[in-house]
Amino acid sequence: MQDEAAHSADTALEKRSRALFQESVESVDFAMRSRLTRARHAALQAAGGPKRRGRFLGVSVWKPVAGVAAAALLGVALWYGPLSGTLSGNHGVTSDSQNTLDDLDIVASSDPGSVDAIDMLQDDLDFYDFADKAANTGPPA
Amino acid sequence: MPRFDTLHAAWMVWDVPAPAGGGAVLEHTQDLNQFLAEIERRAFRMAQMALRDPDDALDVVQDAMLKLARSYGTRPSTEWRPLFYRILENGIRDLQRRRTVRKKFMVWLPGPKDDPDNEAMDPLDSVADGGPDAPELMMQDQAMQQLESSLRALPARQREAFMLRNFEGLDVAETAKAMGCSEGSVKTHYSRAVHSLREQLGEVW
Repeated sequence: MQDEAAHSADTALEKRSRALFQESVESVDFAMRSRLTRARHAALQAAGGPKRRGRFLGVSVWKPVAGVAAAALLGVALWYGPLSGTLSGNHGVTSDSQNTLDDLDIVASSDPGSVDAIDMLQDDLDFYDFADKAANTGPPA
Repeated sequence: MPRFDTLHAAWMVWDVPAPAGGGAVLEHTQDLNQFLAEIERRAFRMAQMALRDPDDALDVVQDAMLKLARSYGTRPSTEWRPLFYRILENGIRDLQRRRTVRKKFMVWLPGPKDDPDNEAMDPLDSVADGGPDAPELMMQDQAMQQLESSLRALPARQREAFMLRNFEGLDVAETAKAMGCSEGSVKTHYSRAVHSLREQLGEVW
């Protein structure tokens, strides 16, 4: 008899606490509901993210690898480019990078007194055209 | 529930090995989204009752969502509920442990100690606005506050068993799965929780 009374009292407690809890769930304010929705979407999206990054044959893996390789190549070129000229110790010989800079300077130059860069390029093209024809026709008689 | 205009859009959200039909992926994503939408508010309230901080509760719920989607999303949907609550309860326990460590550490530091757990409640916060059911609402609020404080006073395992069984409606087997213990332990924890709550709330309820 005492057990039955205790059991019914426990059931009442369970019912009341469940009803109160449900009431408190319903009264969660709109701002928090919105935050929960955003959290859910973020969780679902984030769950998909790392798997795509981990693809082996997909492009996404190679993009960062290619970027790192390009940066490393550029770093090596910048490091060894000027260094090779410096290490030569020969003051009469300029480094390749220096030559390149000089070439660029000539091409970009527009001083009235200097040779026109466009003309230089045209001369080069004419020369290569000539050389090509000469190679195809053989030695002159 | 988000709508996906194309199959690709769905893949952006849910990236699992493609089954034979594209529609299955879409349905799977929607199922998981729907499941989380159904339980998110209850899960939030349960976390909030245990942690007493809405931001911490939100973090723990979001973390549980992420872990479920990432690690168990491909499991049958019938397994999601106990798995989700297992992750959630682990998250709550971890956060409570971190708080305990932080409290111990803060004792050695000078200056004022801001402990949200010991903040005095402003009585005005619990007063309902002057609607027609104001006295009833106030009584409900008071009853809920008493329930929350009594639940917090319970040992963690008893609180978990009571919340999962009574609030979330999990059966004994699901609760055992969620708590990572035997069904017998669930029954024991639950029975003790009800007994303790009745002792604490008996006079008021």
